[in-house]
Amino acid sequence: MATITLPDIELSDCNLDTMPMLAKLRTQVMGSRAEVCVERARHITTYLRDLADPNEPQILRYAKAVRCFLSNKAPRFFDGNLLAGTTTSKRFGAPVYPELTGLTIWPELDTMSTREKNPQKLTPEEAEELNLRIFPYWMDRSVLEVTRHRFGNTEAMDLMARIVFFIGSKAGTISHTVPWYRVAMEQGLDWIIAQAAAKEHVLRAQNRSENADAIAFYQAVQEALTGLITYAANLGRFAALLAASESDEDRKKQLQIMADVCGQVPAGAARNFREAINALWLLQVGIHAESINMAMSPGRLDQVLYPWYRRDIDGGNLTVKEALELVGCLWLKLNDNTNLVPETAEELFGGSGTVPAVTLGGIDCDGEDAVNDLTYVMLRATELLKTRDPSVNARYHRGKNRREYVRRVAEVVANTKAVPAFYNDLVAIRTLENQGVATEHARDYAIIGCVELAASGRSYDASSSIILNLVSALELALFGGKRPVTGDDQIGPATGDPSTFTAFEDFWRAFETQLAWVIGRAIELNEQMGHVHQDVMPTPFLSSLFQGPMDKGKDLIFGGALYNSSGATHVGFADTVDSLNAIEQAIFVDRTCTFGELLDALKTDFQNAEKLHAYLVFKTPKFGTDHPAAARNAQRLVDFLYATYQSHTNYRGGKYRPAFWTMTNHAGQGKLAGALPNGRKAHRVFASGITPASQAAGDLAACLHSVGSLDYRHIPGGVAFNLKYPALEGDEDLDRFVGAIDGYFQAGGLHIQFNLMSYETLIDAKARPEAYPDLLVRVSGYSAYFRDLNEAMKDEIITRTAYSLREGQAVAFPVDHRDLLPFD
Amino acid sequence: MLDIRPLTEFFESEMTEGFLELLLKMMRLTFQFDEKFRRNIEGFKGRYLFRSRDGQLTVSTVFANGEMEVGEDLIDAPNITITFKDDKALMGFLLAPRPDILGAVLRQDVVLKGNLNYLYKFAYMAKRLQLMATCQA
Repeated sequence: MATITLPDIELSDCNLDTMPMLAKLRTQVMGSRAEVCVERARHITTYLRDLADPNEPQILRYAKAVRCFLSNKAPRFFDGNLLAGTTTSKRFGAPVYPELTGLTIWPELDTMSTREKNPQKLTPEEAEELNLRIFPYWMDRSVLEVTRHRFGNTEAMDLMARIVFFIGSKAGTISHTVPWYRVAMEQGLDWIIAQAAAKEHVLRAQNRSENADAIAFYQAVQEALTGLITYAANLGRFAALLAASESDEDRKKQLQIMADVCGQVPAGAARNFREAINALWLLQVGIHAESINMAMSPGRLDQVLYPWYRRDIDGGNLTVKEALELVGCLWLKLNDNTNLVPETAEELFGGSGTVPAVTLGGIDCDGEDAVNDLTYVMLRATELLKTRDPSVNARYHRGKNRREYVRRVAEVVANTKAVPAFYNDLVAIRTLENQGVATEHARDYAIIGCVELAASGRSYDASSSIILNLVSALELALFGGKRPVTGDDQIGPATGDPSTFTAFEDFWRAFETQLAWVIGRAIELNEQMGHVHQDVMPTPFLSSLFQGPMDKGKDLIFGGALYNSSGATHVGFADTVDSLNAIEQAIFVDRTCTFGELLDALKTDFQNAEKLHAYLVFKTPKFGTDHPAAARNAQRLVDFLYATYQSHTNYRGGKYRPAFWTMTNHAGQGKLAGALPNGRKAHRVFASGITPASQAAGDLAACLHSVGSLDYRHIPGGVAFNLKYPALEGDEDLDRFVGAIDGYFQAGGLHIQFNLMSYETLIDAKARPEAYPDLLVRVSGYSAYFRDLNEAMKDEIITRTAYSLREGQAVAFPVDHRDLLPFD
Repeated sequence: MLDIRPLTEFFESEMTEGFLELLLKMMRLTFQFDEKFRRNIEGFKGRYLFRSRDGQLTVSTVFANGEMEVGEDLIDAPNITITFKDDKALMGFLLAPRPDILGAVLRQDVVLKGNLNYLYKFAYMAKRLQLMATCQA
């Protein structure tokens, strides 16, 4: 257990006025425009196409390609940041991963610089390079197309192509994990390379053919890590050159320090806090040379970096302010890259960052309070910078963490209006233990990307493998295996005409049949793409930073980690549950209408069925209200998904883990779905994550209790529960705010995050985006700048129920804007 | 200098009928006369099959040996088959300023079967031709 030595945990003396360097860097970051960077694609492609030995194992060829890229990667120093290293060759770059979905921007090479929504600048020269020299090589080699070639145009592939059932994310990413940086920082990459070489030597001496894969793995680790060492050395040399010609004495000194830092790390052990934090950043850069920049999460940085911080502070070699500046520099570095997004995907996913999640607080492996001085330094950096990334998450153990800690986190939420998110340690640890994670590893959990749980550096969770639309299964059940949006095609099994059903159980069975069928197709495709990843994109660099692969001689993608799983998250939870509630209540309890009448109303989007619509909206049970039927149906759906997914074992030997976080998919998928039995009109957004439908749950305590009462052992992938308060004003509000979190966690809730802004503010921000350039909002897991979101997503955040903390009730939604509501 | 005025007039009009035939014809001509544009198909092998949903129209396009051939028969082993509802749907899918790809796929206005990367390349070439025709390239 760490002792808090800070005299002021708020660090109120440290602000952007007293730290002008951070203020300037922040201004530069916020003003940067995204640019496409082809540097990685150029070197990886050139190596694999022109230089690779086709007789070598793919893992070795790919590692050499990564080494080639890192060795040739240009050293860049764009600004006055104290940390050396950049993800791309641009100040704010979107790297191209042609192995995955990079080729989707091909049609836009001439236009993406000027497109209306979130343009990404691409020079004509780089566009030509992509068009003529890079993309042609990958036409038959991307993960999706190799999968198609190997397994054919399967039913699962066709279903994904229709967009509205599920997304098999492996075509675009695995990443989504929390590496174990500590060994690389404590010992240095040279030490890991020596370990790999020694293990390779032992296996070679055995002269056994079954050792071939492990030998190739250890060789690949050495190759990939050597690439990063070369890059750091190049950075160091270039920093020294810049220092020699720098006239500003302060900058000259910083460049000289960076040259020294790069001379030590990541090859050698970090000797002080600055070397440790720069080593960590360079490792993050190195990982992205190999794996796409999606939710590669640094983890518990207040724990990982604490030994260096404590040693330097105690030794008088570092001040708290200097530490805060370095943490701030890391936060801003984590914003130096973004995802490459084609225009069409902007409609569904626009506005997200790369979501590198940082996790703070909670308890340590021994079960003791882990909050330390560095926790507060990182909270202060988050509070001051208010940047989209990193996605900061605060763990909270109600029995171990002090009141002052949770209150301080609450203050940061109040000041940023959105971050950090809160996690309930008791529930998260129990959930991971239920998945077979050892207690000491479960206690060391960290958040991946949006909200997913990881046993830091020990579990490879591929937590975004499947994004499945629950409403698709609901509609298939309603229409006998068809969906209105996909016309007359028989998509799912023919489960019968619901108007012939005589009991609610009949509909449940039809729904479960359709849901299991969609899940089956999604898993089938995920397995196929997983095997293709094993052959096409092994990850020796990343593997060397985990517990397991170095002992087993096995890459993460082949199951090298201590724990393995695949995540499947679900869109439309509350709308599906409320629709099930409505069907039960309206047709089989109240007998307000027949199933046929309900289906007719859905087909016409409730035209000429106003009375039935009003009944469905206002008189049927809603998730989030503590209504027993709603609670029963919600838990039943959770349990069904859990049982279905856990019955499958993935290609790495792990279980599938259901989750409920939706990024912006609930807005995009909502736009593509018809009217629903809960009264939601056609083409309106769904509710986010595990959050009750907008305006459906009016009582705050009931809402917290209802969401908190789900059995989270059955949601091991994590949830996003989004709550909105118009404002927090004064100590009493802060007490109520913390009290509400306590109550929710006492009920058993896992996660909660906030937007502290009124309906009026958000409506105005939509109308006048120029007046709110930095308005940070929580979407459904990650943070985004409100201005960057698509219109549907803005509407969803606007219409989320806002609660008055003082009255514990929903605030009335502005009458003039009721047309934004999903049911109006 | 290739005269691409027919394409320019087409893009600037509200017409969509005959879009595919004109696009492929102009693309083929441009490959012949524009050295820079021709670089798009140097070393490229690709087999495309375009079919209207009503079966009235079948157009194949084969890229090989630096040339583009257009036919009206079915071809074996296309890299991608693009089945479209009508010319308007196809034109909107390929060339609209903000292409409604989601809508086109959902409505089954355009159905794709095969390697999507070949479509992306074709869409790039079509877009470039459009930009050339409208003096934006």
